[in-house]
Amino acid sequence: MEKKVVVLNVNGIDYELYINPKTLLVEAIRDYIGLTGTKRGCDTVSCGACTVLINGMSIKSCSVLAVQAEGYKITTIEGLEKNGKLAPIQEAFLDQGAYQCGFCAPGMIMSSQALLNENPNPTEWEIREGIEGNICRCTGYNSIVRAVQAVASGKYTEVKS
Amino acid sequence: MIHDFTYLKPGSLKEALAMYAEHDDCKVICGGQSLLIVMRQGMISPEYVLDIKHIKELDYIKFDPKDGLRIGATTTHREIEKSDVIKKNYPVLVEMERKLASVQVRNWGTIGGNLAHADSAGDPAPVLIALDAEITVGNKDGQRTMPLEDFFVDYFETVLQKGEIVLEVHVPAPAARSAAAYQKFNLLESDMGIVASAASVTLDENGACKDVRIVLGNAGPTPRRVKRAEELLKGKTYDEALFAEAGKIASEDCEPVSDIHASEEHRRHVLGVLTKRMLKKAWEQARG
Amino acid sequence: MNKYTVINPHEPFRVINTHVRNIDGIAKVTGRAVYTFDVKLPGMLYGKILRSPHPHAKILKIDYSKALEIPGVMGVVTGKEDTLGVKQGIWRRYKDLCDEQILPVDKVRYIGEPVVAVAAITEEIAEKALDYIDVEYEVLPAVFEPMDAIKKDAPEIHEGFERNINVTRHIEWGDVEEAFEEADYIREDWFKCGGQAHMCMETRCAVSSYTPDGKLTIYHSNQSPYYMQALMAGVLGMREGDIRIISTYVGGGFGGKFELDGAIFCSAVLSIKLKRPVKIVYTREEDFIATKRRTPMYYYTRTGVKKDGTFCAREAKVFTNGGAYTGMGATALYLTGFFHSFPYKWKAYRYDGYRVYTNTLPSTSMRGFGAPQAMWCSEQQIEWIAADLGLDPIEMRRKNAHEEGTIIPGQATIASCGIQQCFDEIKKWIDSKGQLPPNRAIGISACGFMSGGIFNWFDTPYSFSSAVVTVNQDGTVELNVGAQEIGQGSNTTLAIICAETLGVKVEDVKVHSGDTDFNPADLGAWGSRQTLMAGNAVKMAAEDAKRQILEFAYAQSGLNIVYDLDIKDRWVHAIARPERGEDFVKVVRRAIRGKDGQRIVGRGYYTPHRKGMISPAYSYMLQAVEIEVDEETGKIRLCDSLTAHDCGQPINHLGLIGQLEGAFSMAAGYGYLEYMPFEDGKLMNPNLVDYKVIRATEMPPANIAEVDTYEPEGPYGAKEAGEGLTNPTAAAIGNALFRLFGIQIKECPIRAEMILKALKEKREKEQQGK
Repeated sequence: MEKKVVVLNVNGIDYELYINPKTLLVEAIRDYIGLTGTKRGCDTVSCGACTVLINGMSIKSCSVLAVQAEGYKITTIEGLEKNGKLAPIQEAFLDQGAYQCGFCAPGMIMSSQALLNENPNPTEWEIREGIEGNICRCTGYNSIVRAVQAVASGKYTEVKS
Repeated sequence: MIHDFTYLKPGSLKEALAMYAEHDDCKVICGGQSLLIVMRQGMISPEYVLDIKHIKELDYIKFDPKDGLRIGATTTHREIEKSDVIKKNYPVLVEMERKLASVQVRNWGTIGGNLAHADSAGDPAPVLIALDAEITVGNKDGQRTMPLEDFFVDYFETVLQKGEIVLEVHVPAPAARSAAAYQKFNLLESDMGIVASAASVTLDENGACKDVRIVLGNAGPTPRRVKRAEELLKGKTYDEALFAEAGKIASEDCEPVSDIHASEEHRRHVLGVLTKRMLKKAWEQARG
Repeated sequence: MNKYTVINPHEPFRVINTHVRNIDGIAKVTGRAVYTFDVKLPGMLYGKILRSPHPHAKILKIDYSKALEIPGVMGVVTGKEDTLGVKQGIWRRYKDLCDEQILPVDKVRYIGEPVVAVAAITEEIAEKALDYIDVEYEVLPAVFEPMDAIKKDAPEIHEGFERNINVTRHIEWGDVEEAFEEADYIREDWFKCGGQAHMCMETRCAVSSYTPDGKLTIYHSNQSPYYMQALMAGVLGMREGDIRIISTYVGGGFGGKFELDGAIFCSAVLSIKLKRPVKIVYTREEDFIATKRRTPMYYYTRTGVKKDGTFCAREAKVFTNGGAYTGMGATALYLTGFFHSFPYKWKAYRYDGYRVYTNTLPSTSMRGFGAPQAMWCSEQQIEWIAADLGLDPIEMRRKNAHEEGTIIPGQATIASCGIQQCFDEIKKWIDSKGQLPPNRAIGISACGFMSGGIFNWFDTPYSFSSAVVTVNQDGTVELNVGAQEIGQGSNTTLAIICAETLGVKVEDVKVHSGDTDFNPADLGAWGSRQTLMAGNAVKMAAEDAKRQILEFAYAQSGLNIVYDLDIKDRWVHAIARPERGEDFVKVVRRAIRGKDGQRIVGRGYYTPHRKGMISPAYSYMLQAVEIEVDEETGKIRLCDSLTAHDCGQPINHLGLIGQLEGAFSMAAGYGYLEYMPFEDGKLMNPNLVDYKVIRATEMPPANIAEVDTYEPEGPYGAKEAGEGLTNPTAAAIGNALFRLFGIQIKECPIRAEMILKALKEKREKEQQGK
């Protein structure tokens, strides 16, 4: 095994890491870069708590080697705020109470954001499909669907990330 | 915990094949959506991991009305799902992809990786086999092409030899008056199938069955054709009793296991139901 | 998508039941919230636990010498050398039920039980070290099902428990035999209820840091920091005051995080030995196999009714699969028997419950606390009885339902009850649905639940809930509570009660919770107790602070004694002349000056008194669930639902909706998805691929009709919300199947195969009939 120098661009900043190639992207983000907003909830690519964006699309960062993420623009939950203002999807989550314990919220928000990036006006079913890779044990999901719908309806006018 | 490995990152397909030939105990990673799970469970611990995810030469979707569809091995599920040309010519592939795992997995996971992993519950294989797809694999010395149904050998085992990787999947151009359908039985929308059935039907000018392919998923170690039912249907006209009979044959001509999610008996039963339904659905679509 | 209706709303408040964003929301939606899972301390080591591979075995020898030789391995602890057989249990009053050695000395009793813990400089090294620890076992015969474990010749799991019976519970009122005599119709059924995993998104985890001054600080994901502090003091032989538990953000609990777990005690024991912080995070698999689960039960119930549907008597007998240890299972055993009578009036009732030890994962409390099992059996049997007698199942239920003033002999008196209006709402909704497609049906189920338990098996000398309200000179308010926020929104609910009472805005109130060093003791978040109990304590504390502020205001105002002052929206004023007043901050500043510079401090506490045996108040609900079934495959899909719900006065509007919808999703999972199969004591699906948690695509609309009543014992009339709704759904799904096909499924979760089997049997019977 030979350690690798890897440059990861996370939330617009290049981080140079010297890591074991088996390091997962989620480990690089949490343990090396220190952004602990991204969570882990399983070992089987099931729960979606580790969801981040890679060039704007959602992936589960526990299922990608950090070395494979080199060259992409990675966005984590910490990267959604712009100039100290929350993203519309974050405001909508607050207004709808679309989280409870909050542990799934960062991943759920990133999945919702990825969906809106691709499809600004999703149907209810498209929203459900868009977040089916994320488990929330608390809310029963309907408040999350309402939050995405609220953003899609243009209720929050700030620039989308 | 993943065991340590040496990471190999080739710059081109040629280099990848050369590296793969050179290294014993080497595993190819592409999207890694299945591989990293089994590595994390310690089920496999290769000394080398060869990354082909970034190899652009294998990332393509090409369609020609005569030649049909060619999909490069590193093409992601999401690219297939979102391809207009596939949606137009092979809608069943898009439907299948939409229900393959979650968006996140489809965004990163690839068709080549999925087929090479050879999970008998995998979604693409039964559909592609029903569409009469071929697969091309290659090593540093050359390539070989075979019907996709011959590619699978056993649970998680394929014909791939040392140094060989999946290069391309080829699906023939859709015949006139043909259609295919796929459905899996599961508990959660995004789950793999407890069992699944795919059917493609081609009708002749008189509406009789010219060609039919029935493929079962998770009904044994590999995706499984139900040739006895196919023979039954050939030359026949639309008849729901016939579909039910074909379903009954499907439930007999398979070797599903019993596990915590379903007994063998239930799997056989549902395979029959799904096969009957998929035949009807494909037939009706083929009829237009 | 979802409809939320309020039936008889109360007078509007300033803060209560308005749209208030969760006060810890910003931290949670931005990733700033630091969970125990995220904690990293300087010099921190990582711990891993070696677990028993056997369901029942004697430990002969443990050899960890090779593990210690691995570079980076810092230390190992075992039961024999370090914890010396110390036992733990949450039923502290009953020493024989504190039956779980924190690390076993002599034998293991289930697969996954902690045996050895190791700490290393990285998690990876710690995990590797486990492979180098040799444990020699003598495998003993094991038993996995309660009906086998009570047999005379079954293996003995704990010494001194005859036939492996861990706990028995008996509830009885009225003359049962006589009441059955009065019945025109008697029906008896056996049911089986499965387990369920709590499946908190944050797995069990802890970071323990012991310092040479003899103090121990533990970050831990739990539902009751005070319980953890007291229990850890017990097992470590320390004083409670020398242990600090910090649980600021907790990634879910659901009843699974208020007992000690391996993460907390192993990390603490390692930290004490090594004098360095030690972090242990359970993998998802460990969280499945080595924590606890909802209690599986075998239920016999016999019910006698009159021809007109009047309920006469019921007797029930329950055998629960207790697993290897007691935990909170004894409480679940009592509550299932109690709620099996709910929400109906029985002239006579008898319940006998037996909790049986087996060599499986221990069972314990989980959201609903025995009641989902009770309702699964009761509400289905009642539906069948109505059908047997040709009566309308809603009207039959309505006729027998509790009402204000209902006395449950020796147990409780019902002070508030809105179930009659729940029946109205459900009936309207079902009628509005009209004719359903042929493969769809609606099933209903009623239930009730408690608002906190009155029992004190924990043997706490403290008030059940306490709160301190401190008003600063700038009008900001510090609210210190021992109540625990686990996502249910209790911090927000308590901030709302504080703000409403004190006459300030929610944003003026900063809530401090989840830290035993700075907050008063409180039993924590379980049994739906915090809104009522901690809410009352907060209300009392805020009233105390308000009284002190108003004393100064009165002294200065020179008002006639017949006039009263109040504070609303930061405005201190005469109630009769609201325009005549003064800014809250100005008054507070003078009041503080008047106290020689001391901040205004109000104290409040609550312990239930003279409220019966079980709970100070009861919520009521009736649920209707529309399902669609594929008759050929047996697959169930949930299509729609309405829950009519009486939780007294709602306090936290968003929190309430979230709790009701969330409980419904978990309850639906219990009804048809979340099976936990064991083979020879081994859980067969300890991962999220094979254990099925409901996802957004499976979740139907969760419409709510909130029936507002006034509960005299609750703060502003509030009672429980959010746990009780875990109870009705499984039975509602079962009843929908009965409606649709006339089949009776007696085992939950309901599986596709069971439906097909029942349909087949029914067809065969019909054939024979012809």
